[in-house]
Amino acid sequence: MAEYAIETDGLTKVFRTAFSGRELRAVDNISLRVPIGSTYGLLGPNGAGKTTFVKILLSCTHQTAGRAMVFGRDTRQAEARRPIGYLPENHRFPTYMTGFDMLDFYGALSGMETKARRKRIPELLSLVGLDDRARDLRLGKYSKGMLQRVGLAQALIHSPKLLVLDEPSDGVDPVGRKQIRDVLQALEQQGVTIFLNSHLLAEVELFCREVAIIQKGKLALSGSVEELTSGSGYHVEGLRVPEGLESELRARARAFTSDNGSLRLLFATRGDANEAVDLLRSNGCEIESLGRTRSTLEEVFMKTVEGGEAQKQ
Amino acid sequence: MNAAPTNASSATVALIRDTFREAFARRIFWGFFACCSALLLFLMFIMRIDVVQGAIATVTIFGRSTPSTDVQDLVQQTQSVIAMILYFAGMALSVFASAGLVAAVFEPGRIELLLSKPVSRIHLLLGRYAGNVLVVAANIVYLVAGSWIIFGVKTSTWGAGFLMSSLCTIFIFAVLLAILVLVGVLWDSSAVAIMVTFAIMIITPILAQKPTIERLLSSEWSRDVVRVLYYVLPKTSDVSVIIRRMILNQPIESWMPVWSTALFGAVVLALGLWRFQRRSF
Repeated sequence: MAEYAIETDGLTKVFRTAFSGRELRAVDNISLRVPIGSTYGLLGPNGAGKTTFVKILLSCTHQTAGRAMVFGRDTRQAEARRPIGYLPENHRFPTYMTGFDMLDFYGALSGMETKARRKRIPELLSLVGLDDRARDLRLGKYSKGMLQRVGLAQALIHSPKLLVLDEPSDGVDPVGRKQIRDVLQALEQQGVTIFLNSHLLAEVELFCREVAIIQKGKLALSGSVEELTSGSGYHVEGLRVPEGLESELRARARAFTSDNGSLRLLFATRGDANEAVDLLRSNGCEIESLGRTRSTLEEVFMKTVEGGEAQKQ
Repeated sequence: MNAAPTNASSATVALIRDTFREAFARRIFWGFFACCSALLLFLMFIMRIDVVQGAIATVTIFGRSTPSTDVQDLVQQTQSVIAMILYFAGMALSVFASAGLVAAVFEPGRIELLLSKPVSRIHLLLGRYAGNVLVVAANIVYLVAGSWIIFGVKTSTWGAGFLMSSLCTIFIFAVLLAILVLVGVLWDSSAVAIMVTFAIMIITPILAQKPTIERLLSSEWSRDVVRVLYYVLPKTSDVSVIIRRMILNQPIESWMPVWSTALFGAVVLALGLWRFQRRSF
């Protein structure tokens, strides 16, 4: 029984130019483990090697070295790809097909029987928010958002155990994004592993439990979102703080902001924060909020990409 | 819900159906169908043949009568003309039309999705190849069988040679399509694929004049080059002679052009599959 949905060991892809023989290491010795049932985000700046990594997982690109396994099977075996549902970023669905034809075609390639496809397609179209009109409309007439929805339906047609999504909400309006997120959350609850490649950091932060950041083909950082975004200090926010106390607290704090009677203080230790709370309460001030400071995923990403973060495994 | 076990045949059928769908959408199929139908209508209505006691009394085309002749001879000659038109002009059109169908599979954004499915690369490419052959074969069979029936009904001549010729025509198309596939896999370009295939279609009838060319060449090495090219490349011209002989009920002197062309096609297709198997997209 496989432990991981995705497992790579020393995965490397080197592209060589035809004439000069110059080498480009698009993926450089990446070892990554994605637990079964997790929601995993893959991040990185443009050209970092994310797409090449995903293409190796799907056997579209052959690795130069290392190995890539999906549920314990080498992805180069056709059978290893059976549990995968994939939505590519710059997909080019055949425009001569209707939504129904397209789902039927990819369902057949995924090994589904005709009867099962006929039953599944209407369910899926409804799940991704496409109506009956879309079912018989040629894909050439679909809007970008509709294509994205039918693309997601295509990835789900054979009820995959692993969903690999490349920019799933690209071109989708906010309502559609919410709908897609709801679908993905429902799948997560069913135990489907979701591997998300997205530039929308807020989306990844909102949805994924774990992330990996790739930079220049190397794995720069990986871990749980909770762990990566947890800060090293504590914040306390008090209301109606008297002037004298404010000066005292400012002197103790690592940083502060003051706005309209509200004072927000950042402390390095829990003890300092507790002392500040005691002082505020003993002076009759109200506590608006307190807790550990957090970084956003964007801050973590920027730090990593700018080379400020060491690899954290 | 779990996916059903691999059903290779349903994947093959899906790939073939997809090729037909694309051929319909690109108007390729209907274009061929219209040309074939026009020719059949011509044979059905414009050409009137009056047969009296096994000989043709008159043949009327556009209202003008020609002298009487032997029924079988006239039918076979006409069928061989149709077969040659189909063989050369039809093939050129088919190659031109099919190049796009082959290259379309390798389009970025489409190929990744196909390759992500639990179907081997060889299966994917062969499915597309078979679909493409069947698109052209359907029209060839329609035209040949249609005109065979028309001639049969009008003259009671039912020779099988003409029907058999359609198999040779489909076979030659399959060989030319293998070239399109190989070039398509190598360079992703339908334009280059058409150029290479047309170049072979033009060179091979010239090489078929091997004895004459050899007489004209002064050096032995250049004669060797011509011989090698002749034996390696498909023998489209020689196969057309075989088709003509089949229709005219004449003995076939040698089947070498057919099997050597088949060997060429098999090797080229195998190279295309091998390259496709190894390629990164």
